[in-house]
Amino acid sequence: MSKMDARIDAKQAASALSDIASIARRVRQSTIYRLASMMLVLWGGVSCVGYLLTYLSPPTAYYTWIAVYIVGIGGSIVIVTIQRRQSGIRMLDLRMSTAAALFIAFGLFTCLLGHFGPRELSTFWPIYFMLAYVLVGLWTGLAFVVIGLSIAALTLIGYFFVGDWFDLWMAFVNGGGLILGGLWMRRD
Amino acid sequence: MAELDEIIHQPLRLRIMAALNALPAGALGLEFARLKKLTGATDGNLGAHIETLARAGYVTIDKAFVGKKPQTTVTATATGRGAFARHVASLQEIIAGAGK
Repeated sequence: MSKMDARIDAKQAASALSDIASIARRVRQSTIYRLASMMLVLWGGVSCVGYLLTYLSPPTAYYTWIAVYIVGIGGSIVIVTIQRRQSGIRMLDLRMSTAAALFIAFGLFTCLLGHFGPRELSTFWPIYFMLAYVLVGLWTGLAFVVIGLSIAALTLIGYFFVGDWFDLWMAFVNGGGLILGGLWMRRD
Repeated sequence: MAELDEIIHQPLRLRIMAALNALPAGALGLEFARLKKLTGATDGNLGAHIETLARAGYVTIDKAFVGKKPQTTVTATATGRGAFARHVASLQEIIAGAGK
């Protein structure tokens, strides 16, 4: 090891430590953004396909969305596993997995209690997940907040104003929005 | 007396080691492009400092192809992690000493 005398003062030492802490924060944030960007692109893609198929064949919507969730959840598990192998950082521990399960359970209860129809379901779930994105973004970064609020707003516009084109609207707004958001986060 | 590591003490090399040490031991390291973005360095500057760290045994450099695209991954070695930890401890010692 190459050593040198301590020819720096406390102020310089503090500045170096601050630099180190700042870089460590950026590494962590960029790791979160990388994982999130892959998830957004995945779910954007499967959602887009799901909404397009629902628009083209409404009677098979139930089976379409079961397939969407199977592919989405399976893909998410693969992404998290690969990310953990590459970065060594465990993003989903037992507490986070439990929180995610509770989040989904509350969503299901809300849908049951509210007697949501197909259009309400197609509106509620994207907005509900975007709520989670916005809340996470308050701690992890602005990109989450911007993506979450934008997609939620466009979803509501679709619900109230787009009429029979709703599923097509959602394919581009929700699916396309998530993909674009994921690609934007990748740049960060 | 606090002993700073002259290899790590250089500002860009400090940032490189800070970024690599932010990942747990055993992680695959950081790609060159990502390190460049995190440290704010230019290509040439970053490459030169990474070579210096590699010669000191603090990092390893792995070059591979992802499809047709070359990718360079830099990983902190156990020696490098130890040296970085000691360097950080020395910095903290300097601050603590000034407080007395």
